[in-house]
Amino acid sequence: MSRFEALLDAFFYRPDEDVSGLLDFAAGSDGLAPRVLEEEPTEYLAFRLETECYAVPILTVREICKVPLLTEIPRAEPQLLGVMNLRGELLPVYDIKLRLRLSDVPPLVAGPDAGLPPKAARILVLKTQDGPAGVWVDSVAGVVRLKPSMVELSPAGLRGDRDCVAGLGRKGSQLYILLDPEQALAP
Amino acid sequence: MTTQHGGKALAEFVAEATEILDALGRDLLALDEARDQEADPERINGIFRAAHSLKGLSGLFGQERITQLAHAAEDLLDRLRLGRLTLDDQVLDALVDALDTFQSLLGETSRGEEGDDLTRRTRAMEERLARMGSPAPPVEEDPLERLELDAQVRAVFTEYEEHRLRENVRRGVALWRVRAAFDLTDFDQGLADLNARLKPLGEVISTLPSSRPGGATGIAFDLIFGAKVDAQALEAGLQGTPAELAPLVVRPPSGADVAPVLPPADAVAPRTKRGGKKKGTRARPLALEAGPLQPLLSADTGATTRDVPSETTSHGTPGLVALPTSGSAGPPRMRTVAGPSSTTLGLQSAASAPLPAGRPRPEETSLRSLTQTVRVDIGRLDGLINMVGELLLIKANLQRLAEASRQDGTVALSKLFGQELSRETRQLERKLEALQEGLLEARMVPVGQVFDKLARLVRRIAREAGKEIDFVSTGGEVELDKLIVEELSDPLMHLIRNAIDHGAEGPEARLSAGKPRRAVVRLRAEQKGNHVLISVSDDGSGIDEARVREVALSRGLVTPSQVSEMTRRELLNLIFLPGFSTRSSVSALSGRGVGLDVVKNNLGNLSGIIDVWSERGKGTAFHLTLPVTLAIVRALVVGVSGRTYAVPLNSVLEILAVQPHDIRTVERREVLDLRGQTLPFLRLGRLFHLPEREVNRHFVVVVGLAQQRLGIAVDELFGQQDIVTKPLGGRLSAVKGISGATDLGNRRTVLVLDVAELLEEGIAQERRRA
Repeated sequence: MSRFEALLDAFFYRPDEDVSGLLDFAAGSDGLAPRVLEEEPTEYLAFRLETECYAVPILTVREICKVPLLTEIPRAEPQLLGVMNLRGELLPVYDIKLRLRLSDVPPLVAGPDAGLPPKAARILVLKTQDGPAGVWVDSVAGVVRLKPSMVELSPAGLRGDRDCVAGLGRKGSQLYILLDPEQALAP
Repeated sequence: MTTQHGGKALAEFVAEATEILDALGRDLLALDEARDQEADPERINGIFRAAHSLKGLSGLFGQERITQLAHAAEDLLDRLRLGRLTLDDQVLDALVDALDTFQSLLGETSRGEEGDDLTRRTRAMEERLARMGSPAPPVEEDPLERLELDAQVRAVFTEYEEHRLRENVRRGVALWRVRAAFDLTDFDQGLADLNARLKPLGEVISTLPSSRPGGATGIAFDLIFGAKVDAQALEAGLQGTPAELAPLVVRPPSGADVAPVLPPADAVAPRTKRGGKKKGTRARPLALEAGPLQPLLSADTGATTRDVPSETTSHGTPGLVALPTSGSAGPPRMRTVAGPSSTTLGLQSAASAPLPAGRPRPEETSLRSLTQTVRVDIGRLDGLINMVGELLLIKANLQRLAEASRQDGTVALSKLFGQELSRETRQLERKLEALQEGLLEARMVPVGQVFDKLARLVRRIAREAGKEIDFVSTGGEVELDKLIVEELSDPLMHLIRNAIDHGAEGPEARLSAGKPRRAVVRLRAEQKGNHVLISVSDDGSGIDEARVREVALSRGLVTPSQVSEMTRRELLNLIFLPGFSTRSSVSALSGRGVGLDVVKNNLGNLSGIIDVWSERGKGTAFHLTLPVTLAIVRALVVGVSGRTYAVPLNSVLEILAVQPHDIRTVERREVLDLRGQTLPFLRLGRLFHLPEREVNRHFVVVVGLAQQRLGIAVDELFGQQDIVTKPLGGRLSAVKGISGATDLGNRRTVLVLDVAELLEEGIAQERRRA
């Protein structure tokens, strides 16, 4: 009986015991593990408008589709390009370049005089409080993961008459302008 | 409130409860209409059962408040049914108010709320129901004692049956035992048939198995029956059934016991006595004539009538009540029930009943249903399923053809193949049309659903306004799309409220104008081809067009020069202008036109047209023309500057081809001359800021809404097509002139024009330029 106890005793940690070597060993086994807490990255969908790169939180994007035939709405606000029929659902499609002052005139993409849309152009269907809405983008760049530390809040009134720019994200040399969809699509 | 039940269960509860309340409302309304007659016991029983089912249902779903109120109502109705309480105006009013409370409770339930206000109101309602009414006058001698009926038989009666029997004896209704033997194999049918025959002739008080054996394979029943008709009519009515009649004899009450049986009101007693005497003298020959069936009874009544002189001197009508003559349904019985307010009639008596203090004024609730359900006859669904089956067959055929063409590959398709293919597509088209029609039919509901609710509302509004109103509704069986019926309820409520509040005059004003005291408000529906015409009319004072003109001028809605050219009809239509009616104009114009622009807009959304007719002193009528369905409409497809638009065909009056030189200008405004009348004219391309194209002729689509006409110029006509309109939705609701979009089959979205808004714009332009 005492023999077992002795054997077990050697097994237990004693407060005065020096275990630093053991700790070093454990740390060495996954040396990449940082000491500070991991930052939770957020996923954004990046896309291009003209020459600039924009991004919206990926959770606000319902789907991405090719540009279908758009039907213009007469006497509508200039940034409303028209409506599209997405699997039987009627969606308004907006051009946010006007609001971002990337262009001065709305593009002619709807109606009988419109030419074929550029091959890379897509419609992002965004979920907003007033229901789904389509947004014209010149091309989709992909998904980026940005940690909070990589995002800086934009200076107020950076551009446009509204604060549709929520911030600026930096990953490597690439700059992403983060958009607030609600503000960008507000009437 | 329990939240553990899912939304679906709750929706089912609301749907079912709504149905019960609807039935309850109908029965209460019928009771209300027959206010000063004796209530049909079957009806009270029906209301009792409805309250009972509501209690059970709401208990099942844990709806505490509804359960408790239903319990209180059930309790009251039970007392009523068992004769412990008489149905007077107060009770009826309380029941109608309880129904309103139920409706509000259900409304809150469906929204998942539980307001304190309503809870308090419910509590107050419960107490009011519990306190309701005085007990019926005590009866010292049980009239049943006078009925010669086996004690054993009496023992098996339920309390309710006993009460009904006692009532019938007390009123002197002729009682019969109807004995009928049926074969065991189909006795349920025979019995139901017998009951159906007896129902119009009187009241079946109880159905008991007969003591007489019904043969080896038979079963016999004794029906205790209180007849409303005399013996001969009863016998004639039962011709061909195995029923044998035997009268149940009622002994005349002993003199001392008569008084309590009589109506309690002293004032009516003398009249009762006179009536009774007259009847007595008339009754004798009738009873003697009654023929072979009667020997037992006539001997008995003979004895009774001999007693009359001595008895009547002391106490009104004695044993005569047992006579099976039609005279027994005379005035005395009505007096007993009608009570002190029997001189006032119908709704007016409701108006005279003071509203109990502290009762919250019923808020202006919408009449829309709380649920979005449609009941569909299973036969219709079976038909639809069959159609789907046939569609599947066609699909199989098409699949086979596609397979064949794929395997043939490069081989040129034969003519035969093409014929077969086109035959299949024709079949497919036919079946799809039938399916569409069937589905549309399934969406149809009778407008009576709304009419019933409105009838209840009339009762309340009339009471609030202190008017005497007869409400007549016809054509409730006309069917409309469920969606339209729902959307229609609020505009109709508005129009009826107007008719009562402002159209109908008070009783005194009517009498001095030489009209009957009671005003009549009519609600009528009739089908006219593809449309349903609904009219709301009153025989009140009519609209004063001079005042309409004044108000329209003072509000700056029209200019004096415009007004001077207006016809009476056009003047009347000014009441539909937004801004015409505000609070102050309500009183200035004897209140005509409360929010009629809203009514007009609502109807416009339904592609409906509203028209007003009015004559001073004779009344006002609003005519609403509505399409039968909205789900699928026929549309005219037009082209402007290369764009395609659809115009709902139900608002298109005609189409003209117009040369550019036919277009005139009046004060720089373009108009057309249409058979001598000037037609406002609008170029759709210009209105929509589309690039104009040179055309050598225009097509002008003439659209109309009410009296307004407008010509809309387009470049091309593409024909007609059935379309399913989708609304533009929340983000695009501000777009003017477009009501929705549709798909024409080539995957291209086509916008549907909103004719009402375009007309509005056309007219507004006219007004601006004038």
